[in-house]
Order: sequence, then C-alpha cells, then structure tokens
Amino acid sequence: MSQTQVNSICPFCGVGCGMGLVVNDGCINAVKPLSKHPISQGKLCAKGWNTPFGISKHNRITQPLMKKEGVFEVIGWQEALTYIAQNLQKCIRESGSQSVGVISSARATNEDNYAAQKFARAVLKTNNIDHCARICHSPSVVGLKQTLGSGAMTNSIDDVAKADVILIIGADSTENHAIIGGHIMQAKLRGAKLIVVDPRQTRLAQIADLHLQLNIGSNIALLNGLLNIIFQHNWQNDDFLARRCEGTDALKKHVADYPLDKVAELTGIEGQKLVEAAKLYSQANAAFLAYGIGITQFISGTNNVIAVSNLALVCGQIGREGTGVNPLRGQNNVQGACDMGSLPNVYPDYQSAADKKVREKFSHAWNTTVAQAPGLTSLGMSNQARNGKFRGLIICGEDPIVTDPDRNKVEASMRAMDLLVVVELFMTETAKMADIVLPAASFAEKDGTFTNCERRVQLIHKAIEPPGEAKADWQILSEIAKKMGLGGLMNWQTSEQIFDEMAQLTSSFSGMTYSLLAKKNGIQWPCNAEHPKGSRWLHTTTFPIGKGKLIPVDHVPTNEQPDAYYPFWFTTTRLHYHYGCGSMTRQSPLLERETPNGLLYIHPQDALDLGLKNHQAVTVSSRRGYLETRIVLSNELVPGLLSMPYHFKEAPSNMLTNDAMDPTTEMPELKVCAVNIVPLPKNQSPCPSSISTDIEDWVIQ
Amino acid sequence: MLNDIYLLKDLSILNAHLAQHYSVVRLAKDTDGEVTWTEQAGATSAPLFGHANLPLTSPKAFFFPEQESLYKFDGKTFETIHPKVKPIVLFGVQACDLTAIAYQDQFFKHDPYYQTRRDSVLLVGIDCEAPCKNGFCAEVNAGPHVNSATADLILSRLKIDDRTNTSEWLIVASSEKGVDSLRDLTLEKADEGHFKLRTKLGDQVRSQFADFSYISNAIEYLNDKSIPAQLWEELSVRCLSCSGCTNLCPTCSCYSTFEVIEAEPISNTLEFETVRCWDSCLFESFQREASDHNPSHKAAQRVERFWFHKFSDEYLPEFERHGCVGCGRCEQTCPGTIGVHSVMKRIDEVCCN
Repeated sequence: MSQTQVNSICPFCGVGCGMGLVVNDGCINAVKPLSKHPISQGKLCAKGWNTPFGISKHNRITQPLMKKEGVFEVIGWQEALTYIAQNLQKCIRESGSQSVGVISSARATNEDNYAAQKFARAVLKTNNIDHCARICHSPSVVGLKQTLGSGAMTNSIDDVAKADVILIIGADSTENHAIIGGHIMQAKLRGAKLIVVDPRQTRLAQIADLHLQLNIGSNIALLNGLLNIIFQHNWQNDDFLARRCEGTDALKKHVADYPLDKVAELTGIEGQKLVEAAKLYSQANAAFLAYGIGITQFISGTNNVIAVSNLALVCGQIGREGTGVNPLRGQNNVQGACDMGSLPNVYPDYQSAADKKVREKFSHAWNTTVAQAPGLTSLGMSNQARNGKFRGLIICGEDPIVTDPDRNKVEASMRAMDLLVVVELFMTETAKMADIVLPAASFAEKDGTFTNCERRVQLIHKAIEPPGEAKADWQILSEIAKKMGLGGLMNWQTSEQIFDEMAQLTSSFSGMTYSLLAKKNGIQWPCNAEHPKGSRWLHTTTFPIGKGKLIPVDHVPTNEQPDAYYPFWFTTTRLHYHYGCGSMTRQSPLLERETPNGLLYIHPQDALDLGLKNHQAVTVSSRRGYLETRIVLSNELVPGLLSMPYHFKEAPSNMLTNDAMDPTTEMPELKVCAVNIVPLPKNQSPCPSSISTDIEDWVIQ
Repeated sequence: MLNDIYLLKDLSILNAHLAQHYSVVRLAKDTDGEVTWTEQAGATSAPLFGHANLPLTSPKAFFFPEQESLYKFDGKTFETIHPKVKPIVLFGVQACDLTAIAYQDQFFKHDPYYQTRRDSVLLVGIDCEAPCKNGFCAEVNAGPHVNSATADLILSRLKIDDRTNTSEWLIVASSEKGVDSLRDLTLEKADEGHFKLRTKLGDQVRSQFADFSYISNAIEYLNDKSIPAQLWEELSVRCLSCSGCTNLCPTCSCYSTFEVIEAEPISNTLEFETVRCWDSCLFESFQREASDHNPSHKAAQRVERFWFHKFSDEYLPEFERHGCVGCGRCEQTCPGTIGVHSVMKRIDEVCCN
C-alpha cells in the first residue's frame, strides 16, 4: 500500500477548487480538498468529493470502436485514424471545408482546446469550431465584449467577501457553484445584504434579504425598471458615468419607459420591493453582482447581459474591489475553451476570425493558410447537417443529444452526417450515435491547464496512466492531422509546448509559463508586460474599449408562452449532485442514489388542481417532443411553472426545450417553453427515452 | 508504565530503528504547503507538530479506506477479498486523531477488514505544544496530550535547546506493541520527574485554549433536547449535503456498498465485486427506504442527527466518550459555515436566551 498525492483542480464546475488526487497502485480511489487553495480553502462539493467514481476504470471506453452494422467493434488506432482522415478528406473534396467541423469540450484543457481550434482552422481549413459555451454563456462573451470590452468575470471570487451587497440574478449557485454559494452564505452571515433575482425560491433566495421572484423571462423589464427607479431617485453614480461611460442620456430616456406599475405588472414583483432593491444595490459601497444562465439562456440572452451591465455601470459598481459584473461559468474550463478560441468567430484571446490581419497573423505563425470563410456555431452545424450541407463532425467530450435543445432535431442531424467521431470517457448517448468512438484520457490522466470563471489559469497534473489505449484530445487530433498529411502543424510532444505556442500568439497569456503557474496557485489573465502578476480586477482605470457603453435594450416576450394546448411554463435547472449530461457524476453510486424519484418539479397547488399525487407518473409534452417521468412536489416553484433538471438521459428535458435562438449568438431559449402534463394510466411506470437501447451492450470484443 | 519511559535527544534514531520493521509514514508538507501523511523512509527531521500542522485529512483512511473491495462472486462462489497490508508506523499522530482511532476501534470491533489493517499499524503519538487553529480537544477530553490508552508509543518534547537546536524527548511505551517495537534499541531511562514535567507541560498547553464554554453549554442543550426545531431548520438551509464533514470527521464511519460488474472475456462470464465506500448521513437518500419512506426526509432532521451522533450521551455506554474529538476540521470544510464552532455557538446563543 504505497500512497501518493498529486494536487490538481476539480474537473466539475467553473469555480476551480483545489483537489488532491490520492493514488494507490495506479488507481484514484479518493480525493482530498486542499486547505491552501486560494478559492476552496479545504472545501469541495458533493460532485468534487465523488470525482474518483467519475473517472474510474469501470465502464470507461479504453479502445477505439467502430460501428459496423449497428454494433460497435474494437479496432486498432491506426485503422480508426485512417478511416477518420480518409472520410474527412472525402467530405472536404466533395463538399468543401465548410462541410466538416469540430465541437471541442469545456471539460478539456486549454491545450486540448487550442489544439482543437488549430485543427479546425489549419488542418480542416474551416472556422466550424464551437463548444457548449454556445448554450451557456455565449451571450456573456458577446454582450460584455460590447459594453465593457471583455466577456469574463470582471472581479474575483474572493471579492464576495469584500462586498456590502451581493446581487445574484438567475444563478442557483449553492447547487451549481457550491463553493461560491458558500462564500455568499458566509458573506450574508457577516452582515452583507443579499438580493436574489430568480423565478424559483432557490436556497440562496431562502436566506436572502430580498427575493425578487420575477415572472420567468422578464429580466430586462426588471433591470430597466431598477434603472428607472435609480435615475428617478438620483441614485446613479454621476461621477463614474461622466468619467467612464457613454450613452447615459439615451439610456435614462429609454428606461423612463419602464415606470413602476408597468414593471410590477411585467415582472410580478411589487413596486416597494423593486425600490428597496434599487436602493440597496446603487447605494452600496461595494456591490458584487453575479449572474448565471438564468440571464443568458433566452432569445433575449445578449440583451439580458447588456441590461445587467447597464445596471452595474450606472451605479459605478465595477472596477473596484467587491464589485463587478460576474458571469458564473458552468464548466471547469468553459472560460478557457472560450479564451482558446473554440468558437467560430474568434481565435485565441478573442482575436477576430473576421479580421484579415488576424488570419494573416495565424497563417504566418502556423506556416499555413488558415480558414477564410466564417464558421458555423454548433447549432448551425446541426441545422446544416439536416440540409445535407454539413457532413463530418468530430465531438470531443460533449453529449449534445442530452444537453442541446430539441433532442429530436439533434438526433436527426447526427443521423444525417456521413461521419461522426466522438472522443469520450464513457458511452454517452451521443457516442452511441457515432461511427467511430475514440477513448479519451480524463483530467487525472494528463497534464494541462484549466481556467476558472475568475480567469485563473491553473495547472492540472497527470496522476495516473490513462486506461487501455486512451489518449488526451490534443494527442488524438495531432494523430488525425498526421494521417491527413499535415502532422507538421501539430507536432507537439507535451502540453507545455502547446501552452507556450498559445502564449506567444496572445496578449492576455503572454506572461504565463507552466513554471510561473506552478509557483503561484494559478494566475488570472490578463498576464502580460502590463500586468506581470496577472489581474484580480478588470477595468480598474479604463475599459479595453475606452468608455463603458450603455446600450438601451427592450423587454421582449419569450418565444413561447402557455396557451390552451400547452398551459404550463417550463424551465430547466441543475441539481447539486449532478453535472452536465451526467456521464461522470452518474457513475457514483452515492450521487446516483440522490437522484430524486421523479424529475418534474411542480407546485403543490398545481398538483392538487390536476389531481396528481407526489411521485405520480406523468407524460410531459411540448410542441417538439414528449417524455415520461414522475412529479415531485416543490414549494420552490410558483403555480403555473414546472421545472426539470437536465442531466438525465431517461427523461431528457431537451425533448421539450425550444431551440428558438438569440439572434446575435444563436443561444437557444433553453430556460423557457410551454408544456402540458397528463397522468400516465394507473400502474404504468414512466418509459425512459434513452437512445437505442439495442446498442447498450455496445462492444463486441 | 514508569518502567517503559525513556529519553532521547535525536528522534531520527527512533525513526531509523522503526524503519527496520515498518514502513514509516509521517506528516510532510508538499510544495503547495498541504500537510499529508506520506511514506518517508529516511526522514531525519523532527516530526511536524499537530498544533501547527494538523492535516486536513486524519489517518482514518489507513484503517477504513474511502473505497475497499470486500468480496467477489463469479456466479458460483463467493470469495473474500482480504486487504493487502504491510506493517506501517504512523509516526507523530496528534491526540485528537488517536482518540478518534480508539473510537473507531470500538465501532469496527468485529469488522475483519478494519481489524486486519489496524493490526498492521503501530501508532506513535505526539503531544501538541499549543492549541491549533480550529481545535478544542481539551474541551472534549481528547488532547492536547496523548491519552496513553490510544497509542503504542508517545513522544513528548520536554526541552528545547535553542543554541544547539536540539530537543529532549520523552518516549512512553504505552502498549505491549509499543514495548516490543523498542526491543533492541538502547535508550536512556527516564524517571518520574520527567513524567511529571510532561504532565505540567500538558497543563500549560491546556490553559492556553480559548474559552470554548459555548461548546460545553451546547452539549448540554443537545442532551436535554431543548433546541427549538426552528434552529435546525435555520441551520439546515446551509447544508449543501456535500459530505465534507462526514468525510473529514475522524470518527465518522458510515459506509455504503455497491457492485462492480466486470465481464470476464475468456470464460465469457460476469464477475461481481462488492465494494464499500464512505457514505454520508447528510445525503437525503442515506436513510431513504425502498418504499420511498424516509425517516429523515427533511434536511433539518439530518443535520440534527449528525450533531446528535457527535454529542449525545446515549453513545457513552458503547464508546465511553462523545463522538467529537475536537479537531475542528468540519468548520474548515463546510461550504455553508455550519461546522462545529458555528453550530455550537448558534445553539448556545439561541438556547441561553
């Protein structure tokens, strides 16, 4: 029993807690919190504590698999790579580079993501590269870029401890970012005022000084209403507005159109509460504003983000300790995947792919000609596949069948493609659809970096060997490049070489090296000649775009509203115990046991009106699909609003969700649609909607 | 006992002696500053002291691992999977953690897996020389000095010579195993005076502890059941069911089992392995029954039960002490700030009014 500990970073949410991996005989059977880690300080959430199950060797994909006549067969790496290379080349030859693409992973390292976008742009010659930020914070990246010049948390997690007022909008942070949720609870205990804006009575709402339980989808009405109150009472920060912002008069005039009674009507919140919230936030010495996907996942997602930014700018609650506009990012490295340019419109460090100079810079640096045409988003690729124009896709570590809106459409898109390659740890629903499945190394089996939501780039360390023949994403993509005759473009031996290449081609990361990151418990970007030690706070003296932009935005109704056929509002949530598509957390017998007996949450009054009992089996349907599950009575909801967590393939909420999009970012309106529920006949159990159960026994040796 | 007390200036002599028969596991600080139990054969430095270096994780997992295979079934027969052990010495365990090991010895008295691992370990305790950050061992009779019933050998520093940077150590062999472990090692005998000096030093450390009377008060309130239900509701909103407190608590011992099914390609059969893993009574599903009935359905009930298990007199007949050893780790690891200090303070505040 020889035991060692390798310190690394938790692979779940965007908080980026320190985690010691305890290695025994080449296995990780335990993890430990790290007491000296600057954010987590000896804490982990339930997901973090259960990490060993999520990467355990049981049920892992360990060899390349090829689907032959509907069944997967084990094949050798060379056969798999040759097949992939030839078929990608065939698609490109016949239909052009626009017919192929890559979906990278917000769970993979910065190095994997840098490699993925380089593979797309330099090897496949396409900007068709995207990842799941599309469906979580793409409106933050675009919205805040417009108003502030940078789309990440402006402040640090630690700032929660320095704030007098904490305003949380559309984020269930004790469940999804538990350690930040804990920081907020601690701040409340020491006397900070807590305001929670959420249509559900979340845990933080229960302890808040003010819970603004708004009608779902009325964020802009609420935020404009608060701004109008602030201007009317002269609570704005005139000095900050004069020095640092532009567009004040236009905004003031615009929000005058949101008087108290109108806003109370649209949001369902009594006027007095709105005034109280406006006063608390605007008059605080330091107010920390954080938001989640309850802001972004709407057809008005980008405008919602702009409205949030307007509020912070008008009150001057930005650019100082304890303040800021802080999007809470969902995945361990979704910040990094964006930073690395796993997005169709930007290269690493948000250098615009539409800018000829940027393309020339990367063509020169990579010694090739990079993709010229604009790229498709993940939903764009999906739509083009159904038109027969998009034919070949490599997906690294994502499960769009479970996580993307309108599952029937996603499934049809994948079936329409000529080549689907999935690089995965486990046989996910999406992997089941693939022609080739390649075994991926988990975070504990490779070196690299993750960037958490406060822009902190942190090293992860290889603690054990990958099982079987699994490899890191960047290694796999390099091998495919080699088979396509372009191996010279991705000829790296270590993840550090990739990081160094990336750092040379960016500004925000130019001051970072692995050895510096090791010394400092990570560094927050930008880290360059101007900010050699990194940046705890952004925008302290100026914005990257000069002055902060106040942009008037208007309330728009959600794409779908309840009607006679679909009489209930429906929203999607996350549970503390599970993460994303559940591929890792559901390997834990403890977390799996925590899964509730039913997945459809309903207010007791609605259940009573419909004559339903707790845990009764029902069907839920929307205009796009239907599923079966059981109901759970919950006082967190208001009558008329139903909710479902999205982690479960048996009852995937995305059977129901709406893919109507935000026009700017193609963010689908995952947070709201209209549904109907009908009880199942007595004694009938819910039927799971998992994909193709006939390939559950997936491997023939 | 006075027959088995010795003096030693250089602990590396003892370390080297024990290394002949045991793998030596000691506290060490890694490059990130984390203190962990680490195998270190040739260590020559003095052990890290608990009061400055109490590791966030106790040695619990040496005896009761986070995951452990119990037995397997190949479709025909069951086969016990015996733990693979080698003799190790845990060199420099703090009093609180030793008290916890003694507590778990009781709980796992008839557990062959635990006992096999436990038998292979020699426990060398070390007296703490000051209170630690969150610790209140003195308040719950678990330290700061090592209780001789809980260790095989006890190390206590009697004197430090600043000029030569050397110390004089009292070594107490407090069990038969401890006496055996010193065989063939020539040591200077200590006398009653040295032993009295140790007691005096212990009293001095004890007097340095802050006023933790809120803990003693809260223990009383917990036992006379005078805590209003509303208080448990208030506290339990802050319980995220992360399981951190039960994982880090050195006396928590709840476990669950699960099945790992592996295909055996040669014989084309399945092999079932039953594994036990740490569980947590703060999980909603911990006590949920197959019928879906749950005796601790509400978070408030679960939080109340956890503290009841740590401080109820009802466990005294079985364990001869309360379940809390005063290490304070739950205070550091709880994201919701309902570790022992926060909870006991709140109980004292609410109940004394």
